[in-house]
Amino acid sequence: MIDRIRRAFGSIWPVFHRQDNKHLDPYFTFTNYGKIWAIGISVLVVTALVPLMVVTIIHYRLLQESVDSELTLRTERLTSNARRAVTFFLEERLDALRFTVNEIAYDRLTDPDHLAEILRNLKLGFGGLIDLSVIAHTGAQITYAGPFNLEGRDYSKQRWFIECQKRPFYVSEIFSGYRDVPHIIIAVKSFRPDGSFFIVRATLDTERLIKTLQSYETGAYAHIFLVNRSGIVQTPSKEHGEIFQKMSLPVPDFSERTQVTMAQNDKDQLLIVGYAYIFTRIADTPFILMAIKHKAEMMRVWQQLRSNINWFVGSGTLVILVVIFFTCTFMVNKLYHADRAKAETMALMEQSNQLATIGQLAAGVAHEINNPLALINETAGYVKDLFVFKEQYRRDEELIGYIDDILEAVERCGTITRQLLGFARKFEVKIQKVKLNEVISDVLVFHNKEADYRNIKVYVDVPQDMPPIETDRGKLQQILVNLVNNAFQAVDNGCILEIQASPAQADKVRITISDNGCGMPEENLPKVFEPFFTTKEGNKGTGLGLAITYGLVKKLQGDISVISKLGEGTTFIITLPARIQEEIIENEGSIGR
Amino acid sequence: MKQYNLLIVDDEQRFANMLAKRLSLRGCHCEVCYNGQQALDLVKQKNFFLILLDLHLPDIYGIEVLTRIKAISEMTPVIILTGHGTEKDRRACMQQGAYAFWHKPLIIDELMAILARIEEMSL
Repeated sequence: MIDRIRRAFGSIWPVFHRQDNKHLDPYFTFTNYGKIWAIGISVLVVTALVPLMVVTIIHYRLLQESVDSELTLRTERLTSNARRAVTFFLEERLDALRFTVNEIAYDRLTDPDHLAEILRNLKLGFGGLIDLSVIAHTGAQITYAGPFNLEGRDYSKQRWFIECQKRPFYVSEIFSGYRDVPHIIIAVKSFRPDGSFFIVRATLDTERLIKTLQSYETGAYAHIFLVNRSGIVQTPSKEHGEIFQKMSLPVPDFSERTQVTMAQNDKDQLLIVGYAYIFTRIADTPFILMAIKHKAEMMRVWQQLRSNINWFVGSGTLVILVVIFFTCTFMVNKLYHADRAKAETMALMEQSNQLATIGQLAAGVAHEINNPLALINETAGYVKDLFVFKEQYRRDEELIGYIDDILEAVERCGTITRQLLGFARKFEVKIQKVKLNEVISDVLVFHNKEADYRNIKVYVDVPQDMPPIETDRGKLQQILVNLVNNAFQAVDNGCILEIQASPAQADKVRITISDNGCGMPEENLPKVFEPFFTTKEGNKGTGLGLAITYGLVKKLQGDISVISKLGEGTTFIITLPARIQEEIIENEGSIGR
Repeated sequence: MKQYNLLIVDDEQRFANMLAKRLSLRGCHCEVCYNGQQALDLVKQKNFFLILLDLHLPDIYGIEVLTRIKAISEMTPVIILTGHGTEKDRRACMQQGAYAFWHKPLIIDELMAILARIEEMSL
């Protein structure tokens, strides 16, 4: 699954995460490409996105602050306007009442007909008054003019009356009283010549006050209402408490001026609360004007803007990330490929250097061993000669057998040293035109019987129109014999051997010999061309076959490489020049020299 | 069997002596010397049927010895017998008219066969 995703996003998931060739690792300049990639991406992401984020945050803050102050200002203005209206409403009526009391004599005030006329005139002049009454200092109502039949009532125990006694002017909160209709009382206390006082009381129409307040409710999200100083709702409020109930918000602190604060309601919504304690010039009132707005609704336009900015920043960030990812992956991939190519070259160079060194060493060892070997040979030979030439021992087969063992061992050593010298240098190259298909079939003649016997299928694929190459026929034959031998030893009965030849780039030919035999473990691959490296058990091989083949291919100015997978088979690839260069042969002499 | 008159030139004294003994057993008359100058002196004095010459001699390099032998007695066949021969040496020796270029260890029967062939050809 992950692999499939990796393949799908091949350019994002870099190739260097696949560690395929462990033996190349020591030749890489950088070891951890994943880390380089991650660091590159992090650095780019940080440098590209941090400024963007900082600017966005600053912008947010500025926006937030300016929006907040704008909202505060607007609410403050609204609250002030409403406050002025309410104050004016109360002040106007209080002034009218005071004028009435000062201007009209007590006798006339207590005359019911006259009082009714005064009420009518006041209603005409100011409106908003419901009734008018004169109350004696005992609390007994003396005269009443108005729609309710309240004559003769005793107010001495009522709170407003008690309050009224204490001050010259009084404004009550909204209450129901005897008539059971919400109303406001305003009262003016006046003294009679005998020192006793009387109170002229007017009842105000709350409807008119409510309408005045409602006229300031701009839009759906401002709520303007009155509460008294203990927080009891006085005029209808849509969502902050029933009338005569406790307001859902706390009572704001006293302030002479209009104030704006923030609050949270029980649904955790942010509210902008503008409030003003209301007092008239001549009398205090129990009212607090509340103007409440939902911040979220006020912010809707701003939030639209903010969401636009969010979208812009988000998609911008995404584009930047994608660009960074692609760029980083591309660059690090390039670096990786370059490094890998370098590592491959270095590995190859090291291998051929190693082989050349081993070749030199092997040749040196062979040379040095040849002399003592020669002495052993001659000495043992002489001993044998003595036996053979003297009648006394001629028939002693046991003794002669021992000597023959020594001579045989010397001969085997001699063969090895000759092969070693052969690895280091081979005799002259004779250049002639060679047809690859002929050489291959010549080589296969040697193996026909074994192939039949072991049921090994051998396929040869050489294009008919392939031009002959100019090289040393004998050496090419030797190379192919070695490789085919090698393959025959590696495969089980019934396996397949395939020999292909094809023209390659730059005037070269490529010959591949592949089998589906036992294959080799990866760690053995760099060593297969080293002398004495063998996987064959016991005494089956000298380990020189492939080393000699390597030397021969080099002699023919070619290259040989091997690909193998354990259990799947092995492929040898030989690349030879179509025409061998004679000058190089003269100069080279031998590899490792 | 005709008694061949051979010269063995090799600084490896034990090897040279041993080879001489073996060849003597096979009816050859062998003279042995261990450096180039001695060899050249001997060649000047006598005629040899065949000379076995090592390349790595303490005084004069084998190829030089070969050249000088050929200058003295052009017809004497010389077989180079070396433990250290390179391809370049081989080519140089063949150019100077060596009869063969062999690596040690020597296979004595091969030498005997060569002797017989040379005799056949010279007859």
